[in-house]
Formats: sequence, structure tokens, C-alpha cells
Amino acid sequence: MNLLKKVAILFVSFSFVAVSTTSAKEFAPKKPIELIIMAGQGGGADEIARLVQGVAEKNDFTSKPLIPINKPGGSGGEALQYVKAKSGDQHTILITLNSFFTTPQNQKELDINILEDYTPLARLLTDTFMVWIKKDGAKTSGINTLDEFLARAKQGDLVMGGTGKMSEDELLLGMMRSMFGFDAKYVPYSGGGAVAKGLIGDESDFTLNNPSEQMGFYQSGDSKALVMMTPKRNPAFPEVPSSHELGYPDLEYYMMRAFVAPADIGAEATKYYTGVLHDVYMNAEFQKFNIDDGKLLSWIEGYGLSDFFAVEYDKHTEIVAAFN
Amino acid sequence: METFYLLMNGIGTALVPFNLALLIFGCLIGLFVGAMPGLGSVNGVAILIPITFIVPPTAAIIFLAAVYYGAMYGGAISSIMLGIPGASTAVATVFDGRPLAQKGEAITGLTAAAVGSFVGGTVSVILFTLFAPPLAKVALAFNAPETFALMVMAFATFVGLGGDDIPKTCFSILIGLVLSTIGLDLISGKPRLIFFDIPGFLHGVNFLVLAIGIYGIGEMLWTLETTKGAVKISSISFTFKDVVLSVKKLKGTMMAMTIGSFLGFFVGILPAAGATPAALMAYGITKQLSKNSAEFGKGAVAGVVAPECANNSASTGSMLPMLTLGIPGSPTTAILLGGMILWGLTPGPLLFTQEPEFVWGLIGSLYIANFFALILNVALIPAFIMVLRVPFAILAPVIFVLCVTGGYAPTQSIHDVWLMLLFGVAGYILRKLDYPVAPAVLSIVLGPLAEKAMRQSLIISDGSFNIFLDFTIKPIAATIMYIALIFLFLPLINILKNQLFPKKA
Amino acid sequence: MKLTTRNAEIFVAVILALCSIGLMIKAAQNSITWTIEDNMGAGFMPFWLSLGMLICTIITIFKWVIRKSPQSNNNEPFIDPEANKYVYVTILSLIGLILGTAYVGIYISLIFFLFFYLKNFSEKSNLFISVFSIATPIVTFCFFEWLLKITLPQGISEPLFYPIYELMY
Repeated sequence: MNLLKKVAILFVSFSFVAVSTTSAKEFAPKKPIELIIMAGQGGGADEIARLVQGVAEKNDFTSKPLIPINKPGGSGGEALQYVKAKSGDQHTILITLNSFFTTPQNQKELDINILEDYTPLARLLTDTFMVWIKKDGAKTSGINTLDEFLARAKQGDLVMGGTGKMSEDELLLGMMRSMFGFDAKYVPYSGGGAVAKGLIGDESDFTLNNPSEQMGFYQSGDSKALVMMTPKRNPAFPEVPSSHELGYPDLEYYMMRAFVAPADIGAEATKYYTGVLHDVYMNAEFQKFNIDDGKLLSWIEGYGLSDFFAVEYDKHTEIVAAFN
Repeated sequence: METFYLLMNGIGTALVPFNLALLIFGCLIGLFVGAMPGLGSVNGVAILIPITFIVPPTAAIIFLAAVYYGAMYGGAISSIMLGIPGASTAVATVFDGRPLAQKGEAITGLTAAAVGSFVGGTVSVILFTLFAPPLAKVALAFNAPETFALMVMAFATFVGLGGDDIPKTCFSILIGLVLSTIGLDLISGKPRLIFFDIPGFLHGVNFLVLAIGIYGIGEMLWTLETTKGAVKISSISFTFKDVVLSVKKLKGTMMAMTIGSFLGFFVGILPAAGATPAALMAYGITKQLSKNSAEFGKGAVAGVVAPECANNSASTGSMLPMLTLGIPGSPTTAILLGGMILWGLTPGPLLFTQEPEFVWGLIGSLYIANFFALILNVALIPAFIMVLRVPFAILAPVIFVLCVTGGYAPTQSIHDVWLMLLFGVAGYILRKLDYPVAPAVLSIVLGPLAEKAMRQSLIISDGSFNIFLDFTIKPIAATIMYIALIFLFLPLINILKNQLFPKKA
Repeated sequence: MKLTTRNAEIFVAVILALCSIGLMIKAAQNSITWTIEDNMGAGFMPFWLSLGMLICTIITIFKWVIRKSPQSNNNEPFIDPEANKYVYVTILSLIGLILGTAYVGIYISLIFFLFFYLKNFSEKSNLFISVFSIATPIVTFCFFEWLLKITLPQGISEPLFYPIYELMY
């Protein structure tokens, strides 16, 4: 036991020295930083989280490594509760997507208030959605424009593949339903990749995938995009019209890729993580990857981000209410 | 011929000294990570993504293939030596690997696993080289109804696995299925069975938690009780002759190898399934078709070869949907996929034509990694055997530590560690009362896949079961379904016959 | 009442029956019906499968009553009395280890767990036990934190590890 005690004393004295030498003002992480991902491995959020990790690691943006941990349980509900419970923890950050707005509303029992339970850090990117059909789909062959598609969809027998009940794409289907007056059967899959494959494998007739999820099939000509739900065309998809130019300005929807931290981590830590994310954001490799992938670089931080969260939360409350 | 040229180029690159060193290092890391309960290739591959920014992409791919294969080999080691599945893919290896080791034939088990893995890996990588693009079409044709039919078949091949007590076997199957429904229901978007509103249940019951609990903690409690802590240390000597002798014992396992390699590859290329169901199915089918099916579960060599062949074969197979369709077949390929995207490669049908160097470099590395993993594995058998010489009183706490870390690592939540202990103690008690545990483990693996596929199909068919049974609607699904029904009813008739008219002893 | 295998059989069967009923009640919080318009309710599968579990346990109980199963005729003690100690102490020390992991941190708890376990069940010298109990957490730390970059729970002992992280990175 003597030995044990000695080791313990050594440890404690060691740590005192270390703690006291770091200056009180500048925040620097003392241990590896948990990067919680509120979605599964291989999804869009996971991809960005690992890209951020890779860029930060390669360029030494953080003094301690970022460790990605997937907590996809309950559409991100588990991750939200986990980070909420870590209030004051300066070594955890969370990458969020739009389920940040929808999950707390669909699962009231989680008791999450996104504006109070988290410290907003920064939004790096927004992703959009497109209407996809297969090139020679059984029910959609010969369709080349959104209007042709809508006319066909009004027959009401199309199947749409999506990423899960009450997820963004089903809400979006709900929006389109009330906008255009058509209905479709909704089949949930696990993940955007599986959704894209279901379309090409002729199981579904159309999907509302993110650009990157269909990129491979788009390049090989197996799938066609009819519209991009943005005001302007995207350089990665030059021939796909935007919803605004087709005359449907209400058909606009974005998927955000933003980072938050637990509540009450203090101004210094907030500044540190926002700075790290900004370094990643300004990295040439990071920017090129996302532009090629059809994403929009859209930095906001601090109060701007809180306002954005508030607006989006209210918007999703309306969409969810309209859907039900 | 261009394929051949590219492949040779890939193999050549893997043999450059720097790359070769990386490859051997990767295989070793893979072996150890794979051998740790709860950790699998997914952890090995995850640590590597940041490394890929430091070394050139080719070297990174080689390293990655090495870790991947090393881990596939490593999973069998703890399954055989400790009776705890080293990775989810190696759970079927426990069924016969553990009894083999207990009989004092650990060397045979380890050799069988190594050779089986090698055969499975080689067959699959050859199939991959020759038929990748056409097979991608097969994977595309495999949708929800086909997946469900395949899952029914997987269940059917396991009918004979239970104990003699039918209600207890059914109970075990059912509780596995019920546990597998815990968490958020994908189809309705509603949380299910969140006991006492504990958030940990939102991610469901991880299969590894149940397997480590039952086979790790439950098995150890059982051993402690039956031996009263005084396990005899088996004095296994190791000579090279033993390995040669055990290779000879593999002669009778040609059928297991064939089934494991081909079935494994086929199941592996299906985007939904992956290596764990592949290994379970290969085990079940080999058992059903084997002449000595009574020996299965008591240390049949074929019972180790079949799942090990299948899981290696399936792991290679699961690269196919990842590369050509951009869909990860397993968590590991999901990480790999992330890595590829970071390298600026777009997975999809064009990848083979646009980035031949990457694709064939990866496949070439798989050939070489497979070969080195075999060599390293056989060379390390003496080291693994040493584990059996460690006094039980020391081994036992170490195994418990491995169980705790293994229960924690996959989801990094302490909730799962508690669940694991609960399953371990419950498994121990139930096993003593003759409730078979393997069916529960099987159900929790296959249950979620089966339920999801069934409900997706029924949405598409408006609730009609004809989608599974009518040849004119889904020919592939119907064919598999009818084969499954045959598999299901043959042993059931036998079991019923034995129950109703017991043989007079 | 002695804990014989016969008693354990009925005891466990009744507990499992109660668990099945509990699962059915919990599952019934979601819709357990299956209609073509609404598709299968979220509670459908767990509810009816749990009902199946209940039926299985009822058959087991019935077989116990008519003494048809081997366990229902077995009056030997359920757990070998001489091995009692091993089973109970192991389970309790595991509970201690996991509790410790959650609150004090895994590395510190491991030292105590290994020391306690080896002291009780092995005949090794104190020196061996101490060295082993301290070396195992160190190896575990190197493997998980350094090689695999997986942080294991450190509870309140977390600040002790800051200097080590400082050295590592």
C-alpha cells in the first residue's frame, strides 16, 4: 500500500504544477476533446465531423486531439441529453444538424431547450436538398422537369425513400404536399446512402437527398436532379435549376452543419473553440472539399448563431405543426 | 488484361519496403485490436483516418487494409481462447471454438480459424477482382423484401441450435427479438421500451453488450462455480508439428470452407447485412448440411472454419457496396467511406473507371494483407497459447477488466456496462436452468435487420405479404423465402417427432 | 425455503413472466395495432413478442407443476454451496468496479478491484499483486487513450491525468 500512496501523491503534486502553470485567462484544453456526433457513422454530419477532425489534426489547430463519438440514439436525442448534462464541461463539443430543431419537438420528454442548454459556437456550412429521380425509373421515365414530375406525382402512387419518420426529408415532403397537392408513400431507410441506393435499385420512385449523397450516381448518370431548393444554382450542379428560377420561391430548405458546446463553459473556452472552428473553416482544403461536394460555406458565430437557432426553431415548430 | 495489370501494380506497390513495414505493423495492430473484446476493425480504422493525412494516400490504403484484415483474424482469437467474441463478427466462432479449446485443442481451433480466414479472404478477393462491377448490380437488386427473405433464411438455419426444451428455446429467441426493438423505431419515429426514461436505452441494446455479458461474465461465473476457482491449467506444449497436425484436421472441412467463402461473400456484398449475419448463416447452414451435425457446438473444426471463412469473405464483400454504391455495409466501411471522401474520392459506379489506381491498389493490398495476416497469426499462436498457462485466478480478473472496457468502448456509455453485467448475471442463472443463450444472441443481431426490412416491404406492398411469396412480384425474394421455409420445416418436423415419440433408450 | 434447482426454476419462471408482462405494458405505450392505412404500430412487435415470452414462461411453469422438466425434479442446491463465495464475491466486486468506474474513474477503480480480487482468490505474494494491480491500469491507459484514442471514464480522478495528456500530445 505504501507504493500506492507514493504514486498517488506523485500524481497529485504533478497535476497541481500543471494546473497552476496554465495561465488563468487563455483557455487551452487539458485533455482530449470529445466531438459528439448526433448521427450515425457514415452520414453527412459524421462526414463533416471527421473532416473537421482531420483538418484540425493535420494543421495542429488544437493542442489536444478531437475524438469523434457517434451517439445516434433517438434521432440525436441521446446526444442532446448527454451534452446538456455536461453543462460547464469545457472538453465537449457537439456537431448538430436540423434534428437539433426537430428532435426536441418530436420527443418532448427529452426536456431540451436548445437556446438555453447549449453554447452556440459556429455554423460552418449549409447543405441543401434536391428532388432526385432515377434516369429510367419504372414510374418516372421520360420526366425531365419539376413540373412534369409534379403532374406525375399527383396520381398519388409514387414511393419516396427517406431517412426516417419525422426527419428533415419527411417534413420537406409534407411542405411539398401542401404546396403542390400531391401525396406519396414514405419509406424510411437508415441513412442517406441507403436512400440513394433504394432509388437506383428501383425500390423508391423519388428521393429528397442532399447533393453529396447522390453525387456518385449523379456523375455516372444513373440519377437525375430536378430542382435544388435554393435561390441560386449551385456550381457543383450547374445544369440543375434552382427553385426560385422555376417560380417556387417557397420551396427553400437548408440543412445546417453547426457546432455547439455545453452551457456555461465560459467566455474563454467559447472563444477558443470558435477560433479553432474558424481556422478549420478558412482552411483551403476544407473549403475546396465542401464546394466540390455542393455545400454552401456559411459562417456565423455568437449572437448571429443564437438568432439563427431561434428563427429556425420557430420555423420548424410551424413545419412540424403543419405536418401533424 | 488491364485489370490484371492494375492489380499487379497494386500488389507491387504494397511490396515496397516502407509500405510492407506499414502493412506488417497494421496487421499487428489489427490483430490486437480485433482480439480485444468489444473492439473491432472499426476502432483500428478510426484511429487511422487522422494518420492518413500524414502518410501518402497509397500507404494509407495499405495500412488500412492491413488493420482491417488483421482485426478480422484477431476476432477469432479471444473467441477461441477466452470464449468471448473478440468482435461481433466472431460470435459464431465461439460456438465451437470455445469447446475446442476446453478439450485442449486450442491449437487446432486457432489454426482452423487462421486457415479459414485466409481461404475466405482469398476467395472473396478473387471474386471481387473478377466480378466486382456485375456483382454491384446484384447488390442493387437486393432491396427490402429480399433482405427480409434472407433474414428468415438466417433464422431458419438456426432452428437446430436451441436446447431440448422448446418453450425455453422459444423464450430465448423472443427475448432477443424484444431486446432488439429497444430504442427509436425508424419506421414510426417513436421511441420504444425506454425503461424508466433512461436516455441510454435510446441507442438500443448493442449486440456486443449482450454477447460480452453472456459469454464473458456469464461464462466466467459458470466456470468459477463449477471449478470453485481452481481451474486446472492445461499444460499445452507447442511445437510446429502440432500446427501441421492440426492443418491435417482441416481436410474434412472443404464443405465448410466452400459454404463460408461463397455465402459470406454474397451476404457481404448486400448493403444491409454485413459480416456478422454472414458468419452466423454460414455456421447454421454448414451445421445443417454436415454429416456430423451432432458434433457442432461440442468442438467441431468445421464449426470454426465456416464462420471464420464467412466473416473474412463478407468483410471483403462489404467493400463492394461501399466502393460502387457509396453505402457502407458495416460500421468499419462507414469510417473507410468517410476517409475516401476526405481523400477527394467520390464513391459510386464510376469509381472503378475514374480512380482505378485507388481501387486496385486497395484490392492488391488486401491480397498481401491477407497473406501476412495468416503468417503473423500462425507465428503468434505460441503467444496466444500462453494465455492458457496463466493461472485462472489471475486470468479471471483480467477477463472482467476486458469485459468492462469492451462493454464501454463501442458506445462509450457507462449505461451499457451496467446492462452487460445484468445480462451476464441473468445469462448465468438462465444457463444453469437450461435456457439456451445462443438463440437470444442470434435474434438480437438479426432482429433489427429483419423487422426493418419487413416493415419497409409492407409499406411498399400496402400490407400484402405477397411481396415475399409471389414469384411474379419479387422473384429473388420468393426463391429465398421458399428455400428458407424448407430449412425451417425440416428440423422442426424432426424435433416434433422426437418430442412426440421419444426414442426408447 | 432452500434454494434448490427446483425452487430456482419456478422462481426464475415467475420473474420472467412478470418481466414479460412489464414489457407488454411498456410496449403498449405505443400503438400495438396493425392496420393497412397506418402500417404497423411502433409497439406491435415488442408487444406481441412479449406475449410470446409470457406464453413460453407459462408453459415452463406448467411443466414445473406437473414435474415434467428435469429442473423441476432436481432438489440439489441451485448454486454449489462450496462455490457460493466465488460467485457472490465476483458479482459484488464487479458492481463495485463499475460503480467506481462511473464516479472515481476506471483507472483508480481497477487498482482496487484487481488488488482485492487477487488478494482473495490467488495465492500470489503481496508484491506481485501490487505490481500487477498497478501495471494493468497503466497498460489499459496506454492501449485505449494513447493507441486507440478512446477516453475511458475518469470520474473525479480526471485532473490527475492532465499532466499525462500534456506529455502525450
